[in-house]
Parts: sequence; structure tokens; C-alpha cells
Amino acid sequence: MKKFKIDFYKNRKIYFGISIAVILIGLICNFIFGAKLDIQFAGGAMIKYSVDGEVDSNEIAELIKNETGRTVSVATNQTIGSDAYQITVSFAGNESVSLEEQKSIAQSLSDAYAERTFGVIESSSVDPTMGAKFFQKCLVCMAITFAILLVYIALRFKKIGGLTAGVTAIIALVHDVLIVYFVFVIFGLSINDVFIAVILTILGYSLNDTIVIYDRIRENRKLEPTKSTDALPGIVNKSLNQTMTRSIMTSVTTFLALLVIFIVASVYGLTTVKTFALPMMVGVVVGCYSSLCIAAPLYTMWFVNKAKK
Amino acid sequence: MKRVKKPVFFIIAVLILALTYTAVFGVYTQNGDTKNTWIKGVGDIRWGIDIRGGVEATFSPADGVDATADQLESAKAIIELRMVSKSITDYEIYTDEANDKIIVRFPWKSGESDFDPEKAIEEISATALLTFREGMEYETQTLDENGNPIYQTPTGTTAESIILEGSDVTEAKPVMQQNTTTGEYEYAISLTLSDEGTKKFAEATERLKGKIISIWMDDIMISYPTVNSVISNGEASITGNFTAASASELASKIQGGALPFALQTSNFSTVNPTLGLKSLDAMVLAGVIAFAVIAVFMIVIFRLPGFVAVLTLLGQLAITFAAISGYFPFVNSFTMTLPGIAGIILSIGVGVDANIITASRIKEELHTGKTLDGAIHKGCSNSLWSIIDGNITILIVALMLIGVFGPSNILSKIFGESTTGAIYSFGYTLLVGVIGNFVMGVFCSRMMIKSLSGFKPLRKKWLFGGADK
Repeated sequence: MKKFKIDFYKNRKIYFGISIAVILIGLICNFIFGAKLDIQFAGGAMIKYSVDGEVDSNEIAELIKNETGRTVSVATNQTIGSDAYQITVSFAGNESVSLEEQKSIAQSLSDAYAERTFGVIESSSVDPTMGAKFFQKCLVCMAITFAILLVYIALRFKKIGGLTAGVTAIIALVHDVLIVYFVFVIFGLSINDVFIAVILTILGYSLNDTIVIYDRIRENRKLEPTKSTDALPGIVNKSLNQTMTRSIMTSVTTFLALLVIFIVASVYGLTTVKTFALPMMVGVVVGCYSSLCIAAPLYTMWFVNKAKK
Repeated sequence: MKRVKKPVFFIIAVLILALTYTAVFGVYTQNGDTKNTWIKGVGDIRWGIDIRGGVEATFSPADGVDATADQLESAKAIIELRMVSKSITDYEIYTDEANDKIIVRFPWKSGESDFDPEKAIEEISATALLTFREGMEYETQTLDENGNPIYQTPTGTTAESIILEGSDVTEAKPVMQQNTTTGEYEYAISLTLSDEGTKKFAEATERLKGKIISIWMDDIMISYPTVNSVISNGEASITGNFTAASASELASKIQGGALPFALQTSNFSTVNPTLGLKSLDAMVLAGVIAFAVIAVFMIVIFRLPGFVAVLTLLGQLAITFAAISGYFPFVNSFTMTLPGIAGIILSIGVGVDANIITASRIKEELHTGKTLDGAIHKGCSNSLWSIIDGNITILIVALMLIGVFGPSNILSKIFGESTTGAIYSFGYTLLVGVIGNFVMGVFCSRMMIKSLSGFKPLRKKWLFGGADK
């Protein structure tokens, strides 16, 4: 059986360095590109039409501007394997579009292109105040969940410094959330309910990973007769190496499953599912990394530094 | 070590396969033309509008009018009535009192190619037209899903002679009052009319005493009381065999025709069903391939425990599907959305992890030189708490999501009722998946491994991940 012998504690500065560098790059990208808040949160409107032939985007943008007085950007793509086109009309600003407006747009489109048939594929229109409320609710939910998790971890790992275990586990979670968020920013994916679902999944996944490692540390500390802090880095390293096989196996399986989903979604052109699977794949890798290289070394550092004082 | 009896493996395996088969395909009997559903399968799962297409709209009182809870309930009653008249049965509707919103979701049936979502939303939220009419002549009579008759479209005298309109009614509320002949207390609806309504009603009740005055909402007849006496003071009541529920339902509908505000559509979104169905097919395909990949991977790496893991994962999936489709009579069916599928993926990940933790722990113990029985025993007991801890933390996350984003939730006071069902759906499938994992990945998987280790031909360390000797 393959045995790992990696000194996670000694290498901690390298890991922290890598993570800080990645987060910095992410922050810079965030400032340059900016996060694309979906209309679900920011408010605004989008309508997708299907049309049975080619139409000019600029003409349509002009037409809608005349009809509603609002600036829109129009993108057309041909549907693969047919003559049909898809037109995505995005309205500038955060205001929603009323039903009457949507109806008058549809009317003016069919008036202007009498020989073509337009059909609504998808449309959404969200009032900005409601979007903001939903966003706040997500944040409040996250804060409460973190608090409850902290209490649970602190209670369950009381024997090995529960609060420290809880705090370091949550630092690792915040690390994962940030990196997954940057994936959204860098790939220009919009922050919507898919984002929330991905973040939640990664939270659960990474947390489970960290807990399994802490469980092993607890077990090994119980076996070790000495209670001295000097032995702690050794115990933590041993625990991490013992759980490595399992961490890697679990990540590989989950990653493979997501890869399959990503490939199928790409073949079928399902954007929603693709924007879901890609950041998840990154999240699975990051979640595994942060449990091994961030949470456990931080946990050890805490006690070593406390003993020094 | 306490041995688990040999047949246990087969009993659990058969149970899992039976559960999986019935949960996926359902159990139906054909009786002439009617198909009886005994157990609901995957085909009966109600898919969310993001998957199969549909309309979601949020209505609020126009011009920022602050509506009372009763007025919102009335508006909701009107929308429900219109859903029935459009024969849309599987709609969802929520009212959000804190924010004065009514949220409606309904599917877009794939057969309806000429379906116009904008028109549908407009019709549903249009100002309700309440009328009191002479007689009860109607054009069509159909049955709703509960077998109650629906009378639609007034004709003849009933169509021509309108006695009262919505604006003539000031208030309608359910009351309890004493029956003047029997002396018993019964449920009734009390109506208060406006000055003009009082005049018109006095004239009509005098003319139609002993005859019927029917009450219509749009073109559906909601009640047809007989005039017992002349009502000249504008205080009428409708009596009959009402229950508390049916009285307040009718009062809500009548009140809905007299709402002091119109509804405006603040949010709406539509998804075309062809787009949705395509993604459903792709998701099914992706799910089958992903499961096959996991199965091959687990069996190659972990051998016998890997095989057991695949069986238990199948069982966990079956439990999840069953909890969604309404397989168990005590669990309501659930609307499945794309984030719901994400929840299933995470719970499968957690299930795989539980099996991997146990299997790799057994492997570890074998490599320290323990006997097969000793390694299995130690591996199972040592990994138990780590699996339970991981599962409980995820359970906390799932419960929080359900609690916060459910239709009525713990943060309702601050944020109002749910504005989206997507995250709730994620929490629900995650919760069910984790419970399934406790049953399958923790309990059944251990029983099966221990039971299999009792078979002579299988008592080889290699099969459990030990060295190849």
C-alpha cells in the first residue's frame, strides 16, 4: 500500500503563499473585470427570442430603443444544425421591463420582420429592490450557518481545542468560497442562483473533508501518550498522510462525475449546467487542498505559537 | 468479532434492487383505460419550471398600495380561481405579506406551441370582474380534479341581467350566525353593500324573491344562492351548508372582486419547454454516465467494498428519487429543479466519501498485518465517527437552507416569504441524500461487508484491498 510522507506542517508557508497569491490575483481580476451580478440579484431584464432566419442585431437594438426608450444590447447566435437563430436582448440598467413593454417589443418585431416568426424562449425581469433583498438574505443565511457550524465543531472537537478547530475550518471555507468566486469573475460567469448552489455545495464538500481530517487528528492525539505541544506537528502530519488516500480518492471520484456532466452539458449546449459544473470542479480541488494544506497547518500553528508564549 | 449472518448481504441487496426498480419505474396497473398509480416512479417527478419550462411571476398592488393580509388572500383566491378556469392544476402560489407580493409559478405544457406567456400572466393578474346575476343559466359544466362541478360562461337572462358589480360590494367576510328556523349556529358569508349597491340589490331582491341570484367571478359561477327575503339595508348574508373553510373561501373570492387596487407584475420569467426538456435529457444522460464512471472507479480501486459501495449508492439514489416523486405515502412529492440536481450530486459525493473512508480504513488495517475479521471490525468502528461528523455538518447546512429559503421560513419576519424555490430545492435533495447515506452508506454498507466476509471464497485479503498474496 502506498504511504505518503509529506511534511504538511513544514511546508505550510509555501501553501499559504500559494493561496495568498491566488487570492491576490483573484482580487486584481475582480477590480479589473468586476463581478457580473445577474439580474436575479441586481435587477434588470433579459429576453431571448428564437427566430426562423437571420436578422440584424443593430437593427433590432435600434427598433427596441425606439419602442421602449431603453438602451439594449442584442446578441444573435445561430442554433447549431438549423436555420434558426437565437436573439438575446439585454436591457441596460437595473430596471425591470413591464409586461406591456415586452408585448409591444414582440409586436414591433413581428411588424418589422413580417416574413419571420419570433418566439420567446426565455425571459426574465426582476425589480432591483427584490434582487437586493434576496442577496441580503443569502448573506444572512450564510452567517447563521457559519455560526451554527462553529458551535457544532467546537463541541465535537472539545478535546483537541474545539474553537480553534472550528475557526481554522471556517478560514479554510472562506478561502474556498473566495477562490470559487474568482472563478466566476475570471470566466465572466454571472453571479446568480447557480453561484449560490455552487458555493453551498463546495462549503459542504470542503467542510466534510476538513472534519474527516480533524477526526483523525483527534484519534491520533488520543493514542499518543504525550500531551506536549511539541509532538503536535508530528501527529498532524501523520493524520494528514493517513487520510491522504481517502481525500484524493474522494476528490477524484467527484471530479470525474463533474467532468462527465461538464462534457455532456458542453455537447448539448446547456450553459446553465456548464456554468455550474466548471466552478464545481475547481471547488472540489480547492476544497481538498484547503483541508490538507490550510486548515490543518493553521490549526497546528495556533497551538505551537500559544506554547511559545 | 460479532459475525453478521451470511444471508444478510442477499436480503439487503434484494431490498435495494427492489427499491431502486420501483423508485425508478414505479408500479402501475392498467384497468381498462384508467392507469392506477400504486407507487410513483421517476416519471412522476414534478419538474421545476427551469427544467420543463414554465412561467414565474410576482404580482404586487399597483401604485405602492399597502394591502392588508386579507386583501392579499383575496387576490390569491382570485388567481387560484383563474388557474382552475385555465385548467392549470399543478401551479404553486405563495403570498408574501411582509412585502405585499404574490408569487405564482406554473408549467408551460410542451404540447402548447401557441402558448403566449405574456398573455397568460396578464389574464391571471387582470382586475377581477365580480358580478351578481339573475338566474343561473350557464353554457358549460366541467369537473375539477376533486370532482366538483365548475359552471362556466353565463347565457340567456343570466348573461344579460347584471344586478351588482364588484364596486357595489364594500365587504365580504365569513361569519357564524344563528339559523332563524332551526336555531342552530352555522357558517355564512356576510356582505356589506355600498349605497348604490344597496339600492340596486333592494330592487332586485324584491323582484326575484324565491328565485336564484348567481355570483360570478369572470366567467365562473362561484355561488348561486336563492333570495329568501327582500334586502333593503345593504346587509346581506349567504347561508347554506358551509364549513369554516368553504365560507372563508367564498368570502375571499367575493372580496377579491371588490379589491381597492389592481395587481401589477413586478417580476416575471419564462422558460420555453423545448429548452427545458432538452436539458432534462442531457442531465439524465450525464447522470447515467457519471454513475457508471463512479461504479467502475470504485470497483477497480476498492474491489469487494467498492462493489458494495456501488450497491449502497444505488440505494441512496433510490431513496432520494423516492422522496422526490412521492413514493412514500407520508412524504409529499417535491418539485425538482436544477439546483435540486446539484444537491443530489453533493449527497452522492458524500455517499461515495463514506464508502471510501470505510474501505480505505479496512485497507489500512490489513496492511498493518491484522486478520481479515479484525481489519474489517477495526476499519468499520474507527471510521464511523468521522463519517457521522461529516454528515451531520452537511445536515446542518441542508436544514439551514430549508429553514431560510422555504416557503415559510425562520427569516420570514425580516425578508418575507420565499422569493425563490431554487435554493430550497437544493437543501431538500441534500437533506434526503444525507439521510439516505446514513441508511445506506453507513448502516447497510457495513452489514453487507461483514456478511460477505463470512463466505469462504471471498475470505481473501486481496478482495478487501490487502496485498496480493
